[in-house]
Amino acid sequence: MTYVDKPTVSNVVKFDDPNVKKVQKIKVMLNTGTDIYQGACKKRGSTLKDEYRKVAGIAYMDPKDMARLGVANWESVLVKSDWGEVVVYAAHSRDAPHEEMIFIPKGPWANVIVSPETYCCNDPTYKGIEATVEKSDKEVLLMADLMRSVYRKYTKNEKNVDELPSLGEMPVYRKK
Amino acid sequence: MAYEEPITDYDHIVENCTCAFCGSNCDDLDFLVKGNHVVGVRHACRLGASKIMEDEDQRLKVPMMRDENGELQEVDWDTALDAAAELIANSVRPLFYGWSETSIECMKKGLKLTEYVGAVIDNQATICHGPTVQAVQNVGYPLMTLGEVKNRADMVVYTGSNPMNAHPRHLARYSVFPRGWFRQRGRFDRTLVTWDPKFSDTAKMSDIWVPFEENGDYGFCNAIRAVLKGKELKEDVISGIPKQDIIDLTESMKNVEFGALFFGLGLTHTLSKQRNIDIAIQLVQDLNAYTKWVLLPMRGHFNVNGFNIYMAYEMGFPYGVDFCRGYPRYMIGETTTVDLLNRKEPDVFLVIAADPGAHFPGGANMHLANIPVIQIDIHWGPSTELADIVLPGTFIGVETAGTSYRMDSVPIHMKSAIDPPETCREDEWIVNELYERVKKIKEEAK
Repeated sequence: MTYVDKPTVSNVVKFDDPNVKKVQKIKVMLNTGTDIYQGACKKRGSTLKDEYRKVAGIAYMDPKDMARLGVANWESVLVKSDWGEVVVYAAHSRDAPHEEMIFIPKGPWANVIVSPETYCCNDPTYKGIEATVEKSDKEVLLMADLMRSVYRKYTKNEKNVDELPSLGEMPVYRKK
Repeated sequence: MAYEEPITDYDHIVENCTCAFCGSNCDDLDFLVKGNHVVGVRHACRLGASKIMEDEDQRLKVPMMRDENGELQEVDWDTALDAAAELIANSVRPLFYGWSETSIECMKKGLKLTEYVGAVIDNQATICHGPTVQAVQNVGYPLMTLGEVKNRADMVVYTGSNPMNAHPRHLARYSVFPRGWFRQRGRFDRTLVTWDPKFSDTAKMSDIWVPFEENGDYGFCNAIRAVLKGKELKEDVISGIPKQDIIDLTESMKNVEFGALFFGLGLTHTLSKQRNIDIAIQLVQDLNAYTKWVLLPMRGHFNVNGFNIYMAYEMGFPYGVDFCRGYPRYMIGETTTVDLLNRKEPDVFLVIAADPGAHFPGGANMHLANIPVIQIDIHWGPSTELADIVLPGTFIGVETAGTSYRMDSVPIHMKSAIDPPETCREDEWIVNELYERVKKIKEEAK
């Protein structure tokens, strides 16, 4: 089982649960770190592929939090912190319950919202970041598109980077 | 879980290869080779197997440079190396980052280049176990080898780490499951404890799970130290753990024959950073008044420890070494990569065997969008999207032999099993070639 299309996630909470009070937005604590699916996909080198966005562009949330927001597995959520905002998939965490805590595996998606502050101690604060989560109808970007839209290194003069055609899932370069 | 057919279609087996993934450096892998490709791996975990059976689609095979439109274009080796050497030779504050997934032999050449141009050299410890290294400098290092844990340990504690996800064979090969000389029944002779706010995959299989609250590690370790020293705990609940549970846990930790504490990035990435590790190390020191306890950081990459050992041996400092004044300097928060990038200091960034695009905070990566980036790597990754010059290296431990250091500082020779792609060059050759070309440019300018 070295190749997966997407991580296996459980589906445990019903969305029409009458005991759950629906909200637009929840405040959460964001943790990032490694995860076995992310590790396997990243180190195999499949970072441009759809698989990478499914393993690293994903917020593992408590099922109750997801019910409160009204999002199902593999629907998009917008995560905002003081450092930026990013659209990722939502999925039921296999470590639940951990209400008001979300886990995004390390990767380009998590990078947008983690704190670069090292407090003069060389290590950025990757864990314990305050963030908010809300439902989103935007699509999660593929890695190459995300890097282009966030850092804009080679598209500085473009006005609407998000409207450019996708860079796709394969390396793009001009051969000799 | 889908069933996968065993792999029978291969030409030959290369035995006793070393895994080039995590700091466990498992050196018992068998590669099934067919037509100069590894088609199967025996004994490796999911992570190791997936890395060794790499994604051929995204393998970097030819040197590339960005043209005026910002598109990558294939060039020959001479053009790419000359352009990279030109950038390095004319830079004021170059930063050479990475090195943890390459061999000691390559680092040797890298250090030579760094010293010659007066650059900063740093490795992935700067974003993972850097605080651990600082804590070791503060309060010492009650170290062991993993063989001791296998043969002796009857209590194994994991804190702030999730080895079932990050080092999947660590429990199976070194710490919990294997039968050792004094632990003949393996898992049944050992107690596995996890201290983690999260009910992680490791916590799920532990005998004891201590779910202290987020950022509670500092208070929790100190509470155990207080109990060890015979003090009365004044609060009923400390870091989310009831007082009596802490007293009971301390008692059981005192009464083992040999205990091992493994800790990971959960401790280094929270706000107390190196102070968390200070306390963990001092806890182990205090426990040694009663019985034998040892501690080890769970290092991530297969040679991240090697870089720290090599640099400390050669230059006296473990990482973040700055040569801009002509002699090595090491200042945490000043000469370390993320701080340099946050302050927008470097004017050329060379990344070798690392992926800042995937692992640095966006705020630090923003500076990489303003400066030229030279990448030496084997796969097209997030960093390639920010790289101006791409130099394809070879895969240490599969295509090229080399030396690496395991997380417990044991050096291991990694042999090669197959030939590298014809158009790729060894990391060591590339770095040496950069050195020769930079030297030529500098001497001509004199």
